[in-house]
Amino acid sequence: MTGFLENLSLGVHVALTASNLLYCFVGVFLGTLIGVLPGIGPTGTIAILLPVTYGISPVSAIIMLAGIYYGSQYGGSTTSILVNIPGEAASVVTCLDGYQMARQGRAGPALGIAAYSSFIAGTIGVFILMFLAKPLAEVAIKFGPAEYFSLMILGLAVLTYLSHGSMIKAVIMATLGVSLSQIGMDIVSGQLRFTFGMANLEDGIGLIPLVMGIFGVGEVLANLEESNDFEILKAKIKGVFPNLKDLMDSVGAIIRGTFLGFFLGILPGGGVVISSFVSYAVEKKVSKHPERFGMGAIEGVAGPESANNAATAGAFIPLFTLGIPSNAVMALLLGALMIHGLGPGPFLISEHPEIFWGTIMSMYIGNIFLLVLNLPLIGLWVKLLKTPYRFLFPLILFFCIIGSYSVNNNIFDVFVMFIFGIVGYLFKKFRYEPAPLIMAFILGPMLETALRQSLRISMGSFEIFFSGPISVSCLIIALFLLLSPIFFKKRRQMVRKMS
Amino acid sequence: MKSHDLVGGLVWIGLGIYLCIGSIKLGLGELHNPGPGFVPFLSAAILGLWGAILMTFAILKKLDGGEKSNDKRTWVKENWKGFVSTLAALFGYGILLDRLGFLITTFGFLFFLFKITDPKGWKIPLMVSGLTTILSYLLFSVWLQGAFPKGIFRF
Repeated sequence: MTGFLENLSLGVHVALTASNLLYCFVGVFLGTLIGVLPGIGPTGTIAILLPVTYGISPVSAIIMLAGIYYGSQYGGSTTSILVNIPGEAASVVTCLDGYQMARQGRAGPALGIAAYSSFIAGTIGVFILMFLAKPLAEVAIKFGPAEYFSLMILGLAVLTYLSHGSMIKAVIMATLGVSLSQIGMDIVSGQLRFTFGMANLEDGIGLIPLVMGIFGVGEVLANLEESNDFEILKAKIKGVFPNLKDLMDSVGAIIRGTFLGFFLGILPGGGVVISSFVSYAVEKKVSKHPERFGMGAIEGVAGPESANNAATAGAFIPLFTLGIPSNAVMALLLGALMIHGLGPGPFLISEHPEIFWGTIMSMYIGNIFLLVLNLPLIGLWVKLLKTPYRFLFPLILFFCIIGSYSVNNNIFDVFVMFIFGIVGYLFKKFRYEPAPLIMAFILGPMLETALRQSLRISMGSFEIFFSGPISVSCLIIALFLLLSPIFFKKRRQMVRKMS
Repeated sequence: MKSHDLVGGLVWIGLGIYLCIGSIKLGLGELHNPGPGFVPFLSAAILGLWGAILMTFAILKKLDGGEKSNDKRTWVKENWKGFVSTLAALFGYGILLDRLGFLITTFGFLFFLFKITDPKGWKIPLMVSGLTTILSYLLFSVWLQGAFPKGIFRF
């Protein structure tokens, strides 16, 4: 207990330094901003800002980048409620009842409950994270390369399973990501792989140009084809404090959403999005009046908003305890830790307690900042929503260029970004989900090392992956997830034929 | 599955085969001591295999009569000028940055993009691009000490 209190006090000390408070504020402010603005998400923003963090301490960098992530969940709900366009994928479900509430003149309480439930869930989520992460990290220390390999395979399988659209395409994206990560020098033999004689490729393809290209440039190119003019509710927003009935209706949804969101957030692959949908389904199921859902039920806003914010806290568990990211944003945070020379994994919490506890404490503070930013400043965000896309996209592209260039001060990275921008555009057109590619690209080298180490230890026997309970369970679940669409499809076809 | 999945499947199969051949050349090694081509070979083989699955589903769907496509994608019809100009601007930035330097290239890039989306006005594109260039120079070059090329004009 003494150690826990000591760590807690260390976290408070780190989070409350003037510079970290500033970085936390900048993070949540930018997060809200990009959550509100369509056309750029937390993945792209974190990628753009990665090079900016080179000059600051690792803990400040993680505090700011984490702030962008959970801040974007707050901002995303604003556009869902006022414009019926989700700022983030996790806010899609908020459109259903949030926008209906706004149309009925209840935009204020909808925005209010979204912010309060996000705050409560975010805070409780951080609280659970604080208690769970350390014991889990202690278990993770006992993991060998075979367990790591199987866990990473499970992570990729879950991400492909939860991807939108075709799962075959998601698997293709994941394997393409692993293949792209192989470009450059082999760390064991020093042999160059697929560099085509280009010295610039000897260190491999850079993560930042790749992410900027696919998520930044590719997204802009696709958005240029679409009309981004939308109607913003003109009614004046008043009464962001929900009344007693609203609060009574929402309290159960907030509690359920928080716990559901946190534990689904731990799952590798898109826990934030899935948790908001599951929470909505649960709320509808337990409601005495399910017919109100979709017509402006406040529980339909409170539940999913709690779930997606608690899930952001849960998503930190695999990153901090195993060094395995659970989604593309966490993969970038992993990249940020590695850029700063830190080896993420079970030893991170014990060797660098200031990073873990400092980030946790900053998340409490960030949630308070977000409450202040999102309620009194709601008018500002509504005004920003009116910014025409034609003014935004040149700036997004410019930041992508700067981000890519400043990694190595090398124009080659800008061209890499350019090429992956076109590739990202084509992915979007042909409905290939890029998140598995990014995650596999980051996990690729770790996956390769774990596989080669395991085979060396076992003298070339694949039995090593089936000898331990953790490894074998992970592989069985991964196999089930990868094959399940075939069975479910057959089942669906059978049902169709029978009917 | 749409008909373009057939082409997509072929692309992945082709890429898979190409990478498999490249990996074999790198050396697969032995199972107890995997070589540099071992993991690239595995990932390329899986890529090609899933490409074949994608293609098979697309063929089966076609043979089955196919679903009516409700694909509403626009292929750069409405704003093709903006699309092509954006690509040209990005490529141009990459080519010109070392030659003209950060300030001129950035201003030119932003002005070009603001202007093509707002062909009538001059004031706003000029002001926004000028202001963004100066602020970004102060932020990235002066404050964050980023080493950006000065170009032939040495600024």
